[in-house]
Amino acid sequence: MADGRDGITRRDLIRVAGGTAAGLAGATLAGPVAGAAPAARQDEVVIRWWDQFQPLEALHRSIWDRYTETHPNVQVEYTVYNPSEMGQALQLAFSSRQMPDVHSLAGVSVPVPRLVADGWFTPLARGEEIRQRLPAGSLLDGITVFGGQVYSFPLFSFRQYTSCNWFNRELMEGAGVDPEVGPQTWDEFRQAAAAVTDGGGGQIFGWIQGIQFTDRLAVHVDELAQMAGALTSGGIDLTTGQYAHGTDPYVQALEFLVSLQQDGYLFPASSSLDARTARARWATGAAGMFLDGPWNVGVIQGEFSEFLDKVGIAPIPVANPQTPTFVHAVPPVGQLWVSSQSANAPIAEEILLELTTPEYYVGLAERMDQPPLDLTAVDRAEVHPTYRRAVALFQERVRLAPSPVVKNPAVADVLAEMAEVHPNLGEIAQGAFSGDVTDYRAALTEYAGKLSAERERAIGVVQGRGGQVSLDDWVFPNWDPAQDYTDAFYQPAGSGTPAAQ
Amino acid sequence: MSTPTTSPLPAGASRGTRRPAGPRPLAGRLWDDRWIYLFLLPTAILYTLYTLWPIAASYWYSLLDWNGFSRDRAFVGLANYRAALDDPLFWQAFRQTFLFMVVTVPIRVALALAAAVALNNPRLPFATLFRTALFLPVVTTTAIVGVVMGFIFDPVGGPVNLLLLRAGLVERAVNFLGDSDSALWTVMGVHVWKWLGVTLVYWLAALQTVSEDVYEAARVDGANGWRVFRDITLPLLKPFTVIIVLLTAVDTLQVFDLVLTMTNGGPFFSTEVVETYIYRQAFAATIPRLGYASALAVIFGLATLLLALGQAGGLRWARRAREAG
Repeated sequence: MADGRDGITRRDLIRVAGGTAAGLAGATLAGPVAGAAPAARQDEVVIRWWDQFQPLEALHRSIWDRYTETHPNVQVEYTVYNPSEMGQALQLAFSSRQMPDVHSLAGVSVPVPRLVADGWFTPLARGEEIRQRLPAGSLLDGITVFGGQVYSFPLFSFRQYTSCNWFNRELMEGAGVDPEVGPQTWDEFRQAAAAVTDGGGGQIFGWIQGIQFTDRLAVHVDELAQMAGALTSGGIDLTTGQYAHGTDPYVQALEFLVSLQQDGYLFPASSSLDARTARARWATGAAGMFLDGPWNVGVIQGEFSEFLDKVGIAPIPVANPQTPTFVHAVPPVGQLWVSSQSANAPIAEEILLELTTPEYYVGLAERMDQPPLDLTAVDRAEVHPTYRRAVALFQERVRLAPSPVVKNPAVADVLAEMAEVHPNLGEIAQGAFSGDVTDYRAALTEYAGKLSAERERAIGVVQGRGGQVSLDDWVFPNWDPAQDYTDAFYQPAGSGTPAAQ
Repeated sequence: MSTPTTSPLPAGASRGTRRPAGPRPLAGRLWDDRWIYLFLLPTAILYTLYTLWPIAASYWYSLLDWNGFSRDRAFVGLANYRAALDDPLFWQAFRQTFLFMVVTVPIRVALALAAAVALNNPRLPFATLFRTALFLPVVTTTAIVGVVMGFIFDPVGGPVNLLLLRAGLVERAVNFLGDSDSALWTVMGVHVWKWLGVTLVYWLAALQTVSEDVYEAARVDGANGWRVFRDITLPLLKPFTVIIVLLTAVDTLQVFDLVLTMTNGGPFFSTEVVETYIYRQAFAATIPRLGYASALAVIFGLATLLLALGQAGGLRWARRAREAG
C-alpha cells in the first residue's frame, strides 16, 4: 500500500459493523411481531381491546366477565386511552402490526372509508344478525357498511347535541330563574347570566366554558348558529352545498357568546380552561351555567357527586323562540372495530355482539354518557332526572342530517384529500374571546372561502384519480330540516324518493 | 509493506508497552482497542436507532404527502417545504420561538449568575438550602408545573392576582394566561423560574475555577465586592459565558411540555411555538400531516443546527480565550 494503510480502514469497518449491528438489532426487534405467538397455552385466547370509553369500563368488564365464564380460555386485555393519545397509538400500532383485536377510532380523523380501503378492519361475519338486532336505519352505507358488508355498528344514538345548558339550580334560583325550566332563549340566558354575576360578588359568574378547547368551542358555535337558523351540518348549508360560516347565524352566535364575556358574565379564567377543568370549576359553584353534552351529569355523578343535587338542565338556547330550529346531527357512526390484524376476529365479533342487547342499552343509559342507540332503554334505566330530561330534549330538537358520504362514498376521498384550514371555526371563536379577532364576519367568511377552495381542489384531485364526485353531492334538494333524513331519502329520483314536506 | 508484529522482543523490553514503529494492520489495531469498541457499541446502536434513524426518516417523510395512517405515501418533492414557506402560522410560531429565546436567555443567564455569585460566598448562611430551593423546580415534572401555574395565575382567586390586587398594583384581576398580550410573557416567566437552577449549576461550576487566592489578593488590595465582581470574577468567567449562553439558548427551544400544559399554544396562537405547531400537524390535526410536519421539523432542525454551529464557534473562541488568559 502506497500510503501505508490497509485495504479496509478502521472507519470503514466500524461503518459496516454498525450497519450489521443495527440490522441485527432491527431483526431482533421485529422478531416477536412477525414470529412466534406469545408464550401462552395454545387454546388460550387474549382479546386486546383499546378504546377511550373509560366511563363504560365497568359495564364492558361485566360483559367480558360473563363471556369468560362461558369461554374460560378467553380473556380480554383492556387498555383505556385518552382520546387525544389514542390516534397516535393506533398510528404506530398499525404500521408495526401490533393492532389490538378490537379498537375504537378516537383521535383518528381519517375518513372511515379510506381506512376500510386501506385494510384496517375485518368485516363482521354476522353482520345481518347485527342488523336485525339494531333499530331500523342504524346501519348506513359509507358509514358502517362497505361493499355490502357490515364493519361496525353504533352504540350511541345520533339524537344528541353538545350544548345542553347545564346549570347550578341554587344559583339560578337565587337569581330568580325557575330551575325547573331554565333559560330557553339567548336573551333569557343573558338575563340569567347577568343576575348570577350581579349576585356573585366578583367570585361567582353567570357562565363558564372551556375556551381553550377550540374543537369543542367550534361545536358550540355551530350548534348555536343552527339555533339562529343555520341549515347546516358540519358548517355546510345542505340546501346549497356551500360553507356557511360567514352567514348571519354564525356571526350572531359568535357575537352572542363574546358579548357575554364583554358584559362580564363569563368566568374570567374560561379562556385558559378546557372542558374538563371548566366542568370542575363549575361544580365548585364558580358559575351558574355551563354548556356541555349529555355526559356531563354522568361525569358529575362520578367525580363531583356532592354537586349532583344542584344540577339542572335546560335545552340549548334559541335565538328566536318564534322560529322552529333544529340541531342537525350526522348519521350514527360505528364506535368499535375489529382489526384486520386480529388473529381472533370471530371471538372478538362474538363479544361485540353482546353490545347490541337490550340489557346493554339499559346499562349504557345508566352510565349517563352518550345516549344509547335504543333511546327507549333510558325509560327502563335508573338515571338522574336531568339525564332523562336531556334525552327528551334531544327528541324534540335533534334531527338526522343528510350525509354527503352516504349519498356518494367518493365524498370520503375528497374529505381525506382536504388539508386543514387555520384558523378554523374554534380558533376564530377563541380569537374573538381574546380580542385578536374583531371582525367576526370577515374572519368567518375568509374561513369559509378557504374551505371552499380546498374542497374544490380536493374534488379535482379525486376526479383526476377517476373518482365520480362533484359539488352536487353536498346538495340535498329533498331535505326537510324538520324531519330525519333517513336512508329512504337517499334513493335516486324515480325510485320512490320521499318528497320534502 | 509489512510490519512485524510477532518478532521476539529485545531482552528486557516489556510486551505490554512496546509499540511498533510503522502502521499496524487494521485487525491488530481493532483487537488492541477492542474494549473501547465493545463499550461504545451499545451507545452506537441506540444512537443510530433513536437519533440518526429518526432524523433520516424525517428527511424522507418531509418529501411525502402522508397522514401517518394510510398506506398512500405520495412523493411530492419539495411541496411540503413550499407549503411551509407560505404558512403564516408556522412563521408566527417560529418568531415566537426565537422571541422566547431572545428574552429568556439573557434573563436566565444574568439571574443565575447573580444567584451563583451570592451562593458561592462561603459566608452566606443556609447556602445549601438556597441552592436546593432554586434547583427544586428543575426536578419537578414540567406538566405538573404547567397545570399548577394555571391556578397560580388564575384571574379568580389565584395568588398572583390576589397579591397584585391587595398591593393596589392593579385595579382588576389580570388574565395572565387568557390574554394574548400577556400569555407568552407569563410562560416565559415560568420557564425562567423552572430552569434557572440548571443555569445556576453551570455558573457555580464555572465559579469553582476561580482561585480563592485571587479574591483574597484583591481584598488585601482593598477592592470592595463590586470591584471584585467587575474586575476579577467577570473577566475570569468570560470564556464560560459563551458556553452557558449557548447551552441555555438550546434549552429554550425545548418548551413543548410547558406550553402545552399552560396554554396549549393559545389564546389564538399567541403562545404557539414551533414544537407545539409541529406536534399539532403530526398528531393533533383533524387529518394528521406527517409529511408536512416532518418538513417543518427539518426546517426547525436546520435553524437549531445554525445555533449549534454558533455554539461550536463560541466554544472554540472560549477555548482560545482561556488559553490566552
